Amino acid sequence: MPEQYQNMVNRIAANKMFIYFSELLDKPVLDSNNNEIGRIYDIILKPSAVYPQSASLVVHKGFLNRKYAVISWENIKDIDIYSQEATLRVEKQKLVFEEKHDNKDELTLRRDILDQQVVDTHNHKVIRINDIHLLFVEEALMVAHVDISTRGLIRRLGFEKIADFLVSLFNKNSPYLNTEQLISWKYIQPLSINPASMTIKVNVPEKQFSSIPAADLGEIFLDLNIKQQLTFFQSLDAQTQARVFTNIDFKTQKSLVEDLQPKQIAELLNNIPSDEATDFLEKLPKDMAEHILSFIETKYAKKLSQLLGYSSDSAGGLMTAEYTVFIKDTPVEAALKQIKERVYKVEPAQYVYIVDENNRLVGTTNFRRLILANPQELIQNVAFPKTYFVHLGSSVKEVAYLMEKYKYYTIPVVDEDHVLQGIITVDDILSQLIAFAWRRLKKIKILSKDL
Amino acid sequence: MKNSWKKLIIFLSVMGPGIITANVDNDAGGITTYSVAGAHFGYSLIWSFVPIIIALVIIQEMCSRMAVVTGKGLADLIREEFGVRVTFYAMAVLIFSNIFNTISEFAGIAASAELFGISKYVLVPLCALFVWWLIVKGTYKSVEKVFLVACLFYVSYIISGFLSRPDWNTVANSSLKPAIHFDKAYLFMLIGVVGTTIAPWMQFYQQSSVVEKDIKIENYKYSRLDVIIGAFVVNIIAIFIVVVCANTLFTHGIRIETAKDAALALKPLAGQYCFYLFAFGLLNASIFSACILPLSTAYSVCEGMGWEVGVNRRFREAPQFYTLYSAIIIIGAAIILLPNVKLVPIMLVSQVANGILLPFVLVFMLLLVNNKRLMGKYTNSRIYNVLTIVVITAMIGLSTALLLTSFLK
Repeated sequence: MPEQYQNMVNRIAANKMFIYFSELLDKPVLDSNNNEIGRIYDIILKPSAVYPQSASLVVHKGFLNRKYAVISWENIKDIDIYSQEATLRVEKQKLVFEEKHDNKDELTLRRDILDQQVVDTHNHKVIRINDIHLLFVEEALMVAHVDISTRGLIRRLGFEKIADFLVSLFNKNSPYLNTEQLISWKYIQPLSINPASMTIKVNVPEKQFSSIPAADLGEIFLDLNIKQQLTFFQSLDAQTQARVFTNIDFKTQKSLVEDLQPKQIAELLNNIPSDEATDFLEKLPKDMAEHILSFIETKYAKKLSQLLGYSSDSAGGLMTAEYTVFIKDTPVEAALKQIKERVYKVEPAQYVYIVDENNRLVGTTNFRRLILANPQELIQNVAFPKTYFVHLGSSVKEVAYLMEKYKYYTIPVVDEDHVLQGIITVDDILSQLIAFAWRRLKKIKILSKDL
Repeated sequence: MKNSWKKLIIFLSVMGPGIITANVDNDAGGITTYSVAGAHFGYSLIWSFVPIIIALVIIQEMCSRMAVVTGKGLADLIREEFGVRVTFYAMAVLIFSNIFNTISEFAGIAASAELFGISKYVLVPLCALFVWWLIVKGTYKSVEKVFLVACLFYVSYIISGFLSRPDWNTVANSSLKPAIHFDKAYLFMLIGVVGTTIAPWMQFYQQSSVVEKDIKIENYKYSRLDVIIGAFVVNIIAIFIVVVCANTLFTHGIRIETAKDAALALKPLAGQYCFYLFAFGLLNASIFSACILPLSTAYSVCEGMGWEVGVNRRFREAPQFYTLYSAIIIIGAAIILLPNVKLVPIMLVSQVANGILLPFVLVFMLLLVNNKRLMGKYTNSRIYNVLTIVVITAMIGLSTALLLTSFLK
């Protein structure tokens, strides 16, 4: 398109590839005969891409009797680089002005992004957007960055030039003038929702939450208010949901679960380690826990309710039901093959447990032993010479003592018939011990103060 | 039985914002106004507390509702719906008005220092330090508990009311029968009593603190109850202040100018206990409000400007929030310690700023609460809207009238 091409060349020449959304707001819109038909009000975006592009322009006219027209972007001839006026390809007569332009399903710059709160996944914070940095691409405008700086705020107030002048009087190299606090759109997760119906307008799957450490993700989450938490949570994929859920406090977990659909809760509980799931269910009021168990997958629910039956400071209450187990006459080769194929959840899996036909524990081995062993060897022959284990009723202290003594990261739990029930990992013990140590420490502090 | 316990527990967890916000209404300025009203006009103004309760409930209930439905503060919503420019100027006026309000709270502290015979150069800095420490070191939960305890101390006015042995029949009669006199002084006083009821910071504070409590829509009814209880409690206390002064000062024809005068005049008439309770009430109210006003300002401004907000954060995490909070306290306390500082012009400036801001805030609220996109099925009903418009018009009219009368005096 020659005309479009010419515009492009002009912009590159004038070094005006970018424009702030605030510079466009309320600028005149001219029709094909150069008559002013209204002012720029909003820009509707095409969703889906990482960097969304403009789909149509919303023009408003009138003050008391305000009306809006939506113009598809193909009908926009140019946006002037100096005056920011928009020129259309269509005549005034062809435009339809209406009382409202609100369409809930669309994502628009003014209504949903400008001045709104969003999650900045790069700096792990919730921020408010002061301005939007748009890039001219051949046919349209593309959302490139958001501006959260004070300068952006001052630009919106219309004092940018005065403020720039005043600052440059004092310090020409002031960071205020030279550093742009622009954040790339790819890190931005909008929280824009329709609060009443709680529907989410966008969900950009390309946003990479997996690179954010789980603890940070939990912290971002706690920064949001309860409405935003729900929106944010629902916009995440199942794996990330599980990571967030296991990193927030019980109160927030409970409040979240109360707002989720049964199907979502079931999926969530299936994705988190069973000891975390029982931890959560255990703290809930009994009727609520039973209600939740009633709509998750029967086999898993049975396992969870069994775990729930044990006292929380006994081995049974601490254990998780995810571990790697093989019948004693499995060849090492077959075992290794299965380990490679299995998709593990979060629990560490370097230990492998060996049981007989009746699920009774006969031995323990680890990956190192399996890898070094002769592939044709039966698994029971590569077990450690001695197997340590605890009983369902063993206390936290006993478990901790054994694990420390034999330097185990995980320890198996058996019932009175020696049937393997689950394993306890060192992190679960550690959190118990830390809580215990803190209480002791406080007591000691109080005592020493008294003295 | 089990069910009602459950309800009580939910209410206790939701309770706070409404009661606290309403009680700050009885701040140093409020106590002065009510004391003067009682001393000069006896029981004849008590009826005006009935419409005040209604107005307070209607306006504050909308804030609570918006907070629970949208999960956002009022400044947040104004920024998101009306843009940055409007928000910026509204916040500028709010800071201005609240600085002057805070000064008058510190004046209340200084006055009670004199009543207790303590130097104001000791008590004012101490209170400023306490107020600053409370927020900077506290968490939202602990701060709210301290505030609720401060609300309890208002009981001192009720006790002093009983100590003054009023004739309760007359009190009851005059609170139900409006007795409007048309002389200038009476009307000025009426405007003063009603006009100070609703100040812009209250809407911002209430909405932010309800948001902070993460209340779910199912439990909204408890939040509404909190607002209603708050409105009743604050006005009952105000009535007691009027009653104490009416029963003692008015019957003896004593004229007063300030709450300090009132306390001093009470000493020979109602006894030492009544005097101490009255003075203690003033001190408590002033400290309490000197804490909430800067807090509310910092909250709203940071919300609106998009800065980190919250009592639960540390200084480094929310620098603007704490800077603003500290600055307002320091300015408030420092000005009152200046020699020869005149209170009347300070009160006037704060009234002007309030009077300018109030119409905008109330109109914004009305637009926001009726915005279907934000509020869904929780918008105002038609009858509620009519009521609200009546209250808003009356409030705007009264605050303008208050402004005019202050200039006429």
